[in-house]
Amino acid sequence: MKTIACTLLALTSLLTGAAHAEWPEDKAIKLVIPFGPGGFDAYARTLAPALEKILGAVVVPENVPGAGGRIGANTVYRARPDGYTIGLWSMPGMTMPAIVGERVRYDLNKLSWIAQLSFDKYALAVKADSPIRTFEDLCDLGRPATFSGQGGFTETASIATVITMAELGCPYKIVTGYQSSGQATLAVMRGDVDARVNPLGSLLPYIKSGDIRLLLTYEHETSVAGVPTIEELGHGEYINFGLRRVVAGPPGLPDHIRKRLSTAFIEAMQSPELKEWSGKTNNPFSPLDSEQTALAMQEVMRFYEQYGDLLRTEFKGN
Amino acid sequence: MDFGLLNDAFAELIGSGHSHYIFMGVLVGLTFGVIPGLGGTTALALLIPVTYTMDPVAAMYLAGGSMGATSFGGSMTAILLNTPGTPPNAATTFDGYPLTRQGKAGLAIGASATASALGGLIGLISLLLVIPLARSIIYLFGPPEFFLLTILCLLAIAVATLGKLLRGLIAAGFGLMAAFVGMDSVSGELRYAGDLDYLWDGIPLVPVLTGMFAISQMLHLALKGGSIVSDANRKTKLSGVLDGMKSVFRHWTHLLRGSAIGTVIGAIPGLGGVVASFFAYSSAAQTSRDPESFGKGNIIGVIAPEAANNAKDGASLLPAVAFGIPGSAESALLLSILVLHGIEPGPSILVESQREIYGLILAITLSAVGASIVGLACSRWLMLITYVKVEVLVPVVITVTLTAVYVLEGKFGDVIVCSIMGVIGYLMIRFDYPRLSFIIALVLGKTMEQAFHQSMIISDGDLVSYIAGRPTAVVLIFCIVLTLMLPAIRSYRGVRKKTI
Repeated sequence: MKTIACTLLALTSLLTGAAHAEWPEDKAIKLVIPFGPGGFDAYARTLAPALEKILGAVVVPENVPGAGGRIGANTVYRARPDGYTIGLWSMPGMTMPAIVGERVRYDLNKLSWIAQLSFDKYALAVKADSPIRTFEDLCDLGRPATFSGQGGFTETASIATVITMAELGCPYKIVTGYQSSGQATLAVMRGDVDARVNPLGSLLPYIKSGDIRLLLTYEHETSVAGVPTIEELGHGEYINFGLRRVVAGPPGLPDHIRKRLSTAFIEAMQSPELKEWSGKTNNPFSPLDSEQTALAMQEVMRFYEQYGDLLRTEFKGN
Repeated sequence: MDFGLLNDAFAELIGSGHSHYIFMGVLVGLTFGVIPGLGGTTALALLIPVTYTMDPVAAMYLAGGSMGATSFGGSMTAILLNTPGTPPNAATTFDGYPLTRQGKAGLAIGASATASALGGLIGLISLLLVIPLARSIIYLFGPPEFFLLTILCLLAIAVATLGKLLRGLIAAGFGLMAAFVGMDSVSGELRYAGDLDYLWDGIPLVPVLTGMFAISQMLHLALKGGSIVSDANRKTKLSGVLDGMKSVFRHWTHLLRGSAIGTVIGAIPGLGGVVASFFAYSSAAQTSRDPESFGKGNIIGVIAPEAANNAKDGASLLPAVAFGIPGSAESALLLSILVLHGIEPGPSILVESQREIYGLILAITLSAVGASIVGLACSRWLMLITYVKVEVLVPVVITVTLTAVYVLEGKFGDVIVCSIMGVIGYLMIRFDYPRLSFIIALVLGKTMEQAFHQSMIISDGDLVSYIAGRPTAVVLIFCIVLTLMLPAIRSYRGVRKKTI
């Protein structure tokens, strides 16, 4: 299997090398990060040197933050599809504007998907000494349960909160406006709010330190002993709630460039140094190649569109 | 207290052979500080790729070195050109620049250097003292406390604009209006943004501040002509540095108070350096026996904000050190450097990454001292800039500034905002409206609105009983009432003195 992959890789690079001698050697490849420092930034900057080695080209990560990731997304979408501008996309966050009827300048269906980097499954956390012991407790507070959220509605965690609570018929309120995912987690520890839906990986250190406790994880099989999954609570349809970090280029990226980038990303994620980094920093990789990513993204968009009415009501005040 | 750990960090610094990174950081920080528009966050962002191949502790030396040096670099331009090099230096212009015009730039630079260095040291000691209490302190400040704190800081505007209260309030009112442009971070509603993606995140602080202070000052100079220091005042040119250094010890209470204010405000996410130094300035002016002398070249007006400026750097690390959660733009960048080196910031960061964190704290402090020494050594030559003919100075500063503002995020919108604010700022100088009131309101507006909104949601609209149950909030309300009553108390006592 591995040899086949290697031969294929060699073949594609040979073919593309012959047809397009200039790409990617003659210019730097810009890897747009649509946010400031944080998870996306860390992935891009860690991958860049590995990609440089594999592609034999210069890869420059560039933060283009603003407007909840839209400015960076527009930068990539409008770029020339020559393989010199690609970017990271936050999913399902970046599907939201279109779903709730906001004007956006990019069409996710037309993007050239390159690879999926990570898929952080979510978990629902409360303060460690909170009287809320189970998800049922959270629903039976006699008042709406409060959740902390980051500013704006492109935050994937708020989307997961809305769908879980509304579909399960639990009263809830989201206190948004926290500056970062970390600040929103801090809001739970400080007691501003009852709970928070957050990527499991970034919650683990706070579980270990005894600051927070999990009520459930959005997984098929739980990775934290003693914590039930949403599937065990009878809602297996939500096991795919999570934050995906995906790489994509502008519409119309030539196939050979897309494939070469895709294999480069996959190969980089499998390198021992990056695996070590990923384990040490709780930043797991979930590699998908170009085709798999395109399929997965179609599935993601379809899944969240089902909840269009609900999300529109929640985020746009109907 | 962890002075033992600091000792270890010091020993490691000497033994590691990496100490030159702090010095490199100081040079980078000073350069970025001096250029209006560029500041600590830009320096750190540009250093990230450089640190990639380094040992994580060395990376922290470099980053901390540049972080501690920017604010003194910025104070040089604030004093000499009335143009703050970084946003927190804005308050230094009030008295620093009048001193320069009187031919006493040496005095101001000497005082600024000493206050920065000592402020950094005091900030370090306070940080070490509060680290064990960091968690409980951070838990004390939730949304209602943030809201009340911003109110308290806004009140400082009224106090600092002695004699022109109404103009100060008008400027602050416009600042608040500008702060509400963009997406409401609680409701997600877009306001006054037109169809421009640029305005989504609101009107950005650095281009506004740079325009209002740097560009407007250059317009002002250009229309006035001549050079900054008149020929008559040149005789006293390079003296006074030593006197300036001594003056800090003579006004040691203001040094301590400025540092304390810097530490407290620095530790609170969302308020930041501009507010810290302004608050330190206004509190010095407010409690002075001679408030009239402020704004006309009172050396205390340089000491207080500069001490606060460097004291805040250590304190701003508090949320990062206690929880691994950044509380400021700088600490977010510092933590991201750690992540790149395979260190995961979390609640146990102080235990697991002790070497890096203490190395960082040490670097920030040493660089505050180092920057002052380098700055003092260069001050003789830097002061010459004030003799340069305006025809030469103005185009150079405007070009450098607008380029810096563009480099910041690569957005042309920033250059436009900076230019517009330059013209508005000039009109404000011309008609005597305090520019910093506008800036402070712009900084605080977002946090204030957001914290109020969050408090309302959490308390279900019953804010009064929610606040009544929170001791910190009650204390803050007491402080607000006290601040409001202070002018009245003062004039009452003044009247009594006269009648007696």
